[in-house]
Amino acid sequence: MHPIVADLLFYATAASYFAAFVLFLVHLTGNKHFVTALPKAVWLVGIGGVLHAAHIVVASLVLHVCPVKGIHFTMSVMSALACLVYVGMRTRYRVDVVGVIVAPVALTFLIASVVIGKGESADAGPMKSAILPLHIVSNVLGDALFLLAFASAVAYLVQERRLKQKRLTGLFQRLPPLDALDRAEHGFLLAGFPPLTIGIITGAVFAQRVEAGSAADVARAAFGYATWGLFAAVLLLRAMGGWRGRRAAYGTIAGFGFAVAVLLMYLFRGATGGEPVALLGGP
Amino acid sequence: MIVVVGLSFRTAPVEVRERFATSTDTFPQVLARLAARPELSEVMFLSTCNRVEVFARPKTATEPDRALALRAIREVLGAHASVTDTELVRVVYEREGHEAIRHIFRVAASLDSMVLGEPQILGQVKSAYDAAVAAGSLKNVLGRCVQRAFTTAKRVRSETALGAGTVSISSVAVDLAKSVFGDLQKHTVLLLGAGEMAEAAARSLGKGAKAIHVCNRSSSRGELLAQEVGGQAVPWADMEQELGVADVVVASTGSPSFVVTRDMMKRVMKARRGRTLLLVDIAVPRNVDPEVHAIDNVFVFDIDDLEAQVAIGLDARKGEAARAEVIVEAELAELVKWAQALDVQPTVVALRAKTKGILVAELERSLQGRLKHLGETERAALLQMVESATNKLLHAPSTRLRSAATTENGGELVNAARTLFDLPEAKPEPEDDDGAEASEPERVVQ
Repeated sequence: MHPIVADLLFYATAASYFAAFVLFLVHLTGNKHFVTALPKAVWLVGIGGVLHAAHIVVASLVLHVCPVKGIHFTMSVMSALACLVYVGMRTRYRVDVVGVIVAPVALTFLIASVVIGKGESADAGPMKSAILPLHIVSNVLGDALFLLAFASAVAYLVQERRLKQKRLTGLFQRLPPLDALDRAEHGFLLAGFPPLTIGIITGAVFAQRVEAGSAADVARAAFGYATWGLFAAVLLLRAMGGWRGRRAAYGTIAGFGFAVAVLLMYLFRGATGGEPVALLGGP
Repeated sequence: MIVVVGLSFRTAPVEVRERFATSTDTFPQVLARLAARPELSEVMFLSTCNRVEVFARPKTATEPDRALALRAIREVLGAHASVTDTELVRVVYEREGHEAIRHIFRVAASLDSMVLGEPQILGQVKSAYDAAVAAGSLKNVLGRCVQRAFTTAKRVRSETALGAGTVSISSVAVDLAKSVFGDLQKHTVLLLGAGEMAEAAARSLGKGAKAIHVCNRSSSRGELLAQEVGGQAVPWADMEQELGVADVVVASTGSPSFVVTRDMMKRVMKARRGRTLLLVDIAVPRNVDPEVHAIDNVFVFDIDDLEAQVAIGLDARKGEAARAEVIVEAELAELVKWAQALDVQPTVVALRAKTKGILVAELERSLQGRLKHLGETERAALLQMVESATNKLLHAPSTRLRSAATTENGGELVNAARTLFDLPEAKPEPEDDDGAEASEPERVVQ
């Protein structure tokens, strides 16, 4: 397949995400002349997600690599997956406007996947293991859902701040209801936690097999466990101690921060000639 | 001459207004104190969530009497709210004459409301009017003025779209609930208090709510409202427990102190396991301690907080407000004509009294002299003839004086009549306008 197809898909995806982001902002400003901005923005996120997925497939064919092999691809897969899950789940939670965070984050991940480092290859040996694909796929899925939980948490904090400060007009007046954002954040977190747990377990098993032990490996593992621990604490405290709303949102954002830190560790290891083999929870 | 002394959401925040607010117990007391002041010949007292105002007519329209009347009103308001005159002047406004009448018209027409075009204010002015009529503190001038304000408000409502699609306090409460919970299909609304505002809120919020609970000190009133809105009455003693169940609370009791305190809400939130709670406090004095807003997942909005929400859509109504202002000015001009005609009345009365007095005196002299042989029937006929002659003789001058009163040179004609007939100086504005054409005010049926 000609590389230009992958390039075209890349630019089309980026344009879709960017246009969606602009339309979300137009909707949030409450401009009455653009009443259809929100549905158009949601459509563009969906189209972007499909184009993004197509880009990943075409690029992997062009580069002759597995889509979940390198960290750049996995980041790209994660953001495309997040966009598609968002489009699929938005009616359930009625948090369409969360796309204002999902679209630019997806765009950032898309650009980062081609700007930082190149499509380095992983060690063929570990890839033959049945555990590693499971580890990567579960972490990609978990991170995609955590991205949505993070977006909901950020939107929650903005909405909560507006209500606490009693500024009910102006920018962000069209944010979803507070309760819907809280439920969405909890729902995405709950959905993302089992894949993350699988990712952690498989990561730990995999680490044992390859007997990795460098400082970077330990740091990544530590951040991975911290991510799992934070999300587990947020879910547990919500169920047991009634930690909802702002506290849960802060916990979710912190957890996602750790998840992104793990991704960045892999990303920069890849950029400096390392070998990216996993997303989260282990070497 | 009408004067207004008052404070509203424009001049005083809710923490100040609540000091001036009255309950059903204190309202008649304040009105009675105002009515008892000798400086005021007529008075009406209006107390709502957003404004506390006294409309009055001074003893006379002279400058010293006006000043005395304004001071008397400030004294009563200051004593009621336990504030000094110095503190009071910082938050009150005073209007006199046409400005005062225009103010009454604008208030009744909801042009001075926090929520432009909201319908409740007219009912509240009518209630104030009824209370003043019942207390005997309204006579023909202020009474007529307030009645004209009702006419103005009705015209504004029927001839403009000021009230169309209007944002009422209860609809703002609905919008707030939507900002927090989306739709209310799975949420319970708790009404603390069962007054008019609670009823309005229940009708707006209740449409989509899972359940409505009415918690009122008077269980009978609570049950009545619950029945009307398809809700469930709950005992006042169970309020804390109910707060644990509800998602949206609308507080509108007449309590002079906080009904929902910070400590109580901390206990409630523990029991709720952090579930979000929205409290809309539309009572003045406030029912919910503002400190409650600082608790996580609890949101408290008082009457002043709703102002920002009200601003939405205000632009769309500006055109209607301008049309309403034109109606206010037209009605004001009509009332001014009536008031000017009222100014001529002492002259007309004096002219009639003098003419009739002269004729009757001459008749009496004749009856005691050359006509003393006449019997009672003839004497009565002659008196009747004098009365008729007076009426016919003065009909044209009286009519012309009244007509001229509304013109620019009306005053000159009045002075000419007084000079020509050597009439005594009229009092600026007598306490009792016996000759006035207005009837005594009647109660308004709402």
